[in-house]
Amino acid sequence: MKSHILSALLAAMLLVGASGTVGAQQRPERFQRREQQTEAEMAVFHSVQAANLPTAETLKKGEWLFEISHRFFPPVSDGADALWGFDGPVTNRFGLAYAASDRVMLGVLRSNRSDNVELNVRTRLFEGGSEAVPVMIGLMGGLAWNTQAPTGAGADENESQQYAQLMFNALLGDRLALGFVPSLLRNPTIVDAGSETVFAMGMHGQLYVSEMVSFLGEWIISEDRGTDQKHDSGSFGIEFETGGHFFKVILTNQQLMNPTQFLGGADAEFTPDEWRVGFNITRLLAF
Amino acid sequence: MVLALCWTSVVPTGSVSAQQAYQVELDAERVVRFTSRAAIEEFDGVTNRIDGFVAINTATLTAETGGDDTEFFFEVDLASIDTGIGLRNRHMQKNYLEVEDYPYAAFGGRIARAAPLSNGVFRVTVQGTLGIHGVERERSVTCDLSPIGDGYRVQCAFQVLLTDHEIEVPKVMFLKLNNEIQLELDFRIEPAEDTK
Repeated sequence: MKSHILSALLAAMLLVGASGTVGAQQRPERFQRREQQTEAEMAVFHSVQAANLPTAETLKKGEWLFEISHRFFPPVSDGADALWGFDGPVTNRFGLAYAASDRVMLGVLRSNRSDNVELNVRTRLFEGGSEAVPVMIGLMGGLAWNTQAPTGAGADENESQQYAQLMFNALLGDRLALGFVPSLLRNPTIVDAGSETVFAMGMHGQLYVSEMVSFLGEWIISEDRGTDQKHDSGSFGIEFETGGHFFKVILTNQQLMNPTQFLGGADAEFTPDEWRVGFNITRLLAF
Repeated sequence: MVLALCWTSVVPTGSVSAQQAYQVELDAERVVRFTSRAAIEEFDGVTNRIDGFVAINTATLTAETGGDDTEFFFEVDLASIDTGIGLRNRHMQKNYLEVEDYPYAAFGGRIARAAPLSNGVFRVTVQGTLGIHGVERERSVTCDLSPIGDGYRVQCAFQVLLTDHEIEVPKVMFLKLNNEIQLELDFRIEPAEDTK
């Protein structure tokens, strides 16, 4: 009996010894790593933009981002006669951004609404928080010119606008990303001769059901300045992403896309009969 | 004491009566590159994060080198692979390689034979276990070792099938991969610390 136990013990010791020889995933016992394991990069929002609001995410140094976005004028409620809005016309926007570093992006945007052309810069100021709730903070600012401003007193001399935004982003439960974007906008009403500075509060969230599909919602509280843009802006939709594309399809009451335009408010209420279809397509490029 | 610790960091297990041990020279250029050639697009991913050792049963590489009393082990830090686009890196690491669960690819085994070529170069055939994504496969790989200083420059090229390692083959736009991935390794090994 004792000899059986000894044999079993010897066999077990041999097996333990054998397991310490060569393995693939299992390292040899005496091999010790000399370099720290690379940590996966942190992400809160996957994209640099919600429907309209920016996130604190930035691209990797040297990457380019090209964007084309549309907002269809006719509301979905116009029905089949207007192909639920897809007959157009549309507000169109082209965008191009470049990552000068892992934390700084430079961009140019051009919308056909008032031929608004914008130069902007954004930076990721902070990333941290806890493992359970990663946090990212960014800052963005831009300068825009309305090169074909609507006619109105003083419009010709009052066509430039400026804005600045802080982006507070947090990820809850690895699935739900939340963003708060307090914003200042200088000269929201270009048809007036005078300029003013207004405050807008943006909020947005995105539920990542997988790495490639997510649902997003956005709300921007804007000051009612007694102009047509007297409503808050709301958007919701779905985002598909691949290794280099983001494709967002949304419903929104906001037809404007450049920040100096949408931060001023929407001219339609956020009610189902005012919802318009829109999409944003972005592609990342590296040369 | 320091030397002893360095030795234990690279020396193979006690079952191997090695005469010489080499470790990856961390200060020299190290390149691990994978290339995928799909129907429309080709892209590669690169990292320098490879480490490991080789223990041989002869004083230096000779035609006699090889057998069960040789040993090697190398591993690559997969989260460090850069494909040139940050988002693509994240997708590849999270969705396909699943680096949170399987952070390293590793290859360990023994030298089967070392065949001398010209100019002191040896074509070394190694046999061992290649582990990627938690799935191990027995592989035979051929590498060229060129003498450089006290050590060798190691250059290897071989293919890996993603399906062999139960890695889903990405089909989505901008992350299309061929199931067959070309791997190229280029790094140097130097004598382990106490044998320099």
